[in-house]
Amino acid sequence: MPITFRDVSFTYAAKTPFSYEALKGINLQIDEGDFVAIVGRTGCGKSTLIQHMNALLNPSQGCVEIDDFHNDSDKKKRTKKVKPLRQKVGMVFQFPEYQLFEETVEKDVAFAPKNFGMKPEEALQKAHEALGEVGLDESFYTRSPFELSGGEKRRVAIAGILAASPEFLVVDEPTAGLDPKGAETMMDLFRSIHEKGTTIILVTHDMDLVLKYCNKVIVIDDGEVAEITTPDHLFDVDVERYSLQSPLLFSFASSLLKGGLAIERDQVSDVPSLAKEIARCIR
Amino acid sequence: MKNFALGKYVPFDSLVHRVDPRVKIFATIALLVAIFLPQETYSMTFLVEGVLFLLALTLLFISHVRFRDILLSLRSLWFLVIFLLVIYIVVPKKENVLGIAWNLNGWIVYWDAFAEAGKIVLRLVTMIMVTMVLTATTKPLDLTYALEWYMTPLKVVRFPAAEVAMTVSIALRFIPTLLEDASRVMKAQASRGVDFEHGRLWQKITGLTALIIPLFVSSFLRSEELANAMECRGYDPRKKRTRYRTFRLHVRDVLGLLLVAAILAGVIVLLAMHIDLFALWGIHAL
Repeated sequence: MPITFRDVSFTYAAKTPFSYEALKGINLQIDEGDFVAIVGRTGCGKSTLIQHMNALLNPSQGCVEIDDFHNDSDKKKRTKKVKPLRQKVGMVFQFPEYQLFEETVEKDVAFAPKNFGMKPEEALQKAHEALGEVGLDESFYTRSPFELSGGEKRRVAIAGILAASPEFLVVDEPTAGLDPKGAETMMDLFRSIHEKGTTIILVTHDMDLVLKYCNKVIVIDDGEVAEITTPDHLFDVDVERYSLQSPLLFSFASSLLKGGLAIERDQVSDVPSLAKEIARCIR
Repeated sequence: MKNFALGKYVPFDSLVHRVDPRVKIFATIALLVAIFLPQETYSMTFLVEGVLFLLALTLLFISHVRFRDILLSLRSLWFLVIFLLVIYIVVPKKENVLGIAWNLNGWIVYWDAFAEAGKIVLRLVTMIMVTMVLTATTKPLDLTYALEWYMTPLKVVRFPAAEVAMTVSIALRFIPTLLEDASRVMKAQASRGVDFEHGRLWQKITGLTALIIPLFVSSFLRSEELANAMECRGYDPRKKRTRYRTFRLHVRDVLGLLLVAAILAGVIVLLAMHIDLFALWGIHAL
């Protein structure tokens, strides 16, 4: 089942002098199996948007539908029980390492599944699976999360969300503050989660990631949906309008195309795929 | 959490805002003393308290504090009013001068009970309003600087006035940051299935640890970063520091001081000389 936004508006501190309209009539749909990027300049409303997806915020107007859950502006129409929704839509905030609090890594990761009603042993089992998924082995299970390195902490925090086996995974800037190698490993992790059938919603400023991993881009500009398109199409048109910049790789591929090399640009997502396309053309 | 009215700074450029914070602190204390000095008769008490009440109201009006905020900060007094009335009615004074309000089969209630309760309530209301003038018109940072100035004489006995002021101002500065952190962590833990509102008691308690521990961790990190940043910029608590904003007394400050001193002196004179203004005017008041 998709996530559907129907005419969603959101105003912070409504009816006060500080009132600020962060979202203005958002209409969009995120299908199951998508790897969607949400992009836009700082302060355009991306974070506000994603918080509607698991009812951390309720819209001021309109409705967000996720399966049979209605996050409606009208309290009477709103589904009361939020826990099933929060299990279904996992949310990884920016710098998730700040949410760790337990004594051991495995306890921290088992926290969410336990909250969602799993038995302790079952939750621990899930935690171990999730830790394996993010690439942390048994030696980490009984260590304190506070003695780990920054990157490891972040993996633990992400495992803490994965352990609840969400169908949708919303990640806000997961590569912020990581070194290039670490960022790549992190993104490959999300790709493998995606391949196992989880829908990924990625909020990012990094257009290279959008080109490499996503099949759909939602551009938010000043609280409105500016465009819903493919990465290839977005970078082809005027991206500077949204304070975005085409990835170097994409510009290079475009120049090749202009220069007469008949590569198929929508096949290009990273260096190896570009090399493959060039090889195919000059063969 | 964000809309408490008492103690909130109201940004505005009024005459009261411009008065030196040191003068304002002194004036507040002087007025509080004047409010709580006991007068001899009810009529004199209500006269003096009434004048002080009007003065506080005028000051609030000049400072552009919204009337709604004043009412909000006084709202919690209702309980006290009723409580006091009950106490004074049930436990009457020995000497009652105002006469009997009603007599129900031997249960005598004197008007004095209402007068006594009214006296205390009027004092409390005026006290809250006077302190509100101070907090509404003085930035928290200016308040701490002014407090530091008052504490400087204590340096003689090795009291670390500057350090205390710095600590207080840093603490004040980080209240909004801490609130922001708290709301961020709450959201993250809510995504992990913590229900801070409903849920069973035990779940709420574990939920609270999931909020407090991350807050502690980030606060410690932040304080360490801040300490490093301060040292990088050469902060040395033992050195004498200069200020971007220096306090200098203006004419308005002196006038304000004189006004408040005159009020306090007047109240003390009335009390010490047993003066009953009503009697001077030939009115017999109780």
